[in-house]
Amino acid sequence: MPSEELSREGEAARARETSSARPWWLGAAVIALGLVCLYGGYQLPQGARHAGIGPGLFVTAVGAALVILGLLLTVQIARGETFEAQDAEDASGSEKADPAAFVTALAAACVPALTIETLGLPLTAMLSFALVARSFGSRRIGLDLVSGAVLGTLAWLLFSRLGLQLGDFLPVAGI
Amino acid sequence: MDTFSLLLSGFGVALQPANLLWALFGSALGTAIGILPGIGPALTIALLLPVTISLAPTSAFIMFAGVLYGAMYGGSTTSILINTPGEAGSMMTALEGNKMARAGRGAAALATAAIGSFVAGTIATIVLTFAAPAVAELAFYFRPSDYFALTVLAFTSVAVVMGASRVRGFISLFIGLALGLVGIDAMSGQPRLTFGVEELLNGIELTVVLVSLFAVGEILYVSSRYRGTSESTLPIKGQIWMTKEDWKRSWKPWLRGTLIGFPMGALPGSGSEIPTMLSYTLERKLARHKEFGRGAIEGVAGPEAANNAAAAGILIPLLTLGLPTSATAAVLLAAFQNYGLQPGPFLFTSNPELVWGLIASLYVGNVMLLVLNLPLVGIWVKLLAIPRPQLYAGILVFATIGIWGVSGSVIDLVCMVIVGLMGYVMRVYDFPIAPVLIGLILGPMAEVQLRTALAAGQGNPVVLVSTPLSATLLCIAVLVFFVPILIKRLRANA
Repeated sequence: MPSEELSREGEAARARETSSARPWWLGAAVIALGLVCLYGGYQLPQGARHAGIGPGLFVTAVGAALVILGLLLTVQIARGETFEAQDAEDASGSEKADPAAFVTALAAACVPALTIETLGLPLTAMLSFALVARSFGSRRIGLDLVSGAVLGTLAWLLFSRLGLQLGDFLPVAGI
Repeated sequence: MDTFSLLLSGFGVALQPANLLWALFGSALGTAIGILPGIGPALTIALLLPVTISLAPTSAFIMFAGVLYGAMYGGSTTSILINTPGEAGSMMTALEGNKMARAGRGAAALATAAIGSFVAGTIATIVLTFAAPAVAELAFYFRPSDYFALTVLAFTSVAVVMGASRVRGFISLFIGLALGLVGIDAMSGQPRLTFGVEELLNGIELTVVLVSLFAVGEILYVSSRYRGTSESTLPIKGQIWMTKEDWKRSWKPWLRGTLIGFPMGALPGSGSEIPTMLSYTLERKLARHKEFGRGAIEGVAGPEAANNAAAAGILIPLLTLGLPTSATAAVLLAAFQNYGLQPGPFLFTSNPELVWGLIASLYVGNVMLLVLNLPLVGIWVKLLAIPRPQLYAGILVFATIGIWGVSGSVIDLVCMVIVGLMGYVMRVYDFPIAPVLIGLILGPMAEVQLRTALAAGQGNPVVLVSTPLSATLLCIAVLVFFVPILIKRLRANA
């Protein structure tokens, strides 16, 4: 599944330019997801000895359903189905997407997976905090870095004490 | 023991000083996140889960209940004072409530919202107190085929009701079902859909998916379409509170809202949006004052009562059948599972202290919330002064901690990015999010019940409709699926 969803990642990025056009990739992504399930289910026994059903049948069924739904979605898209972006509390669906802000926020979300094992939670928090704040238009980068580091450190101290396994403070330095 | 004495013993648990503090903490936190944008009750409870591992389950659930109820109270405040609903269930409140505030009647709007929430919350809790044990009693007789039919009904209604289109609703549901299949199969011990990734053997946690969808997806989406905060908070200083006339106009909508909200909350798929919408429409139809659209108090009183009653309503299927009907209920179910507890009829006999302590705490929480919200509303509004960039940045930090702190697995953080992106796409193309979570948590249960039922029936699928209840439930599921199409056709022909 991860490789499959990674390809959706690229498609999501492309979608921003084409969201007004017909998003064929959306149907394709659902079909692909279904095919992954079908492939996974194919490798498992469908029946079981006790007259019931085996571990594979449900997987196959879900995969088949996703493929069918993906096809239906593709048909809908071909017929000109419209997709209206949802309204959120600080965002309006009718607003045009700002690619730079999106990429900055996405970078912020990627930071933890990349740095948490070497830099530890406080520094990771500092980086992703500053990046999210930047993506929302904050211009005080220095202050954001400091706030992120303080928040990360306080959270690390508090939650480690509460029993969470948050790793070392700064693993790369062995602290 | 009869219900009354069980409830009394529940109060014995809920009124212990430590539990009172947890209820207060939960209520205050719930009010805060109800007011703040970008974070709702489901996300909050998911983020609290890892911290509560060392806490007794009773205290944890008392706190969660406070968060659940508190968010409903807090959501109304922003609807009325700045016209941005803090929660989906407060959307209707904004219509009339904000107009009232603009006309200088904000204090009365806030009061009718808070008192209406209290009245509805308390009545709904009373109904819950007496209905839940009765439903649990019935659930004792449920066979695996009945449970399977029930989950099918829940799936169908969630996918049909919540989505902008049925295709998109079902896609969300089946993505959730697929995610729920990842990991070792409970019945055969075989790994499924893990594709050799060792970290996936334990399955994909609901909290990881929920936090990614609600926190990361929301941050990506809002940051790309951020419109700044232009709407200012309307002042309420020195305004007149509810007048005699206001009371007279409010009490009936409160009761009607409760009547609509509670059963709707117990049904899968309706969430808190639909009951509030229904209540608003009803009040608008019944109103003799030509004030609707210009700040009618009935339009605040009804929906606010309905959304609090719905919050209590979701607890009935959750506690008695283990059936979640909304995103928040799904995360509460995950919380039960974290403690190794399975909600359902047996929970009432095996953990009466937890069940009745929780129910009693709802009464206590309602009183606390009334006190927290009525006189102190001015303080809560100050939370909105937190600048948005830093607020959303903080939410991402807590999301990271919530995911990393549970598993310490980088794979989960990679999942956070991927599922977060999926959450973004779902927002842009208007796919409902709750069906993913309900599919994820209920899918494995549905499969186990299906396989148990089929094994007992020697593999003959007729066993799935062999009991009157299972046949009825599956029929309703089919109806839920087809009736909307029929109605559409009929309307098109007319």
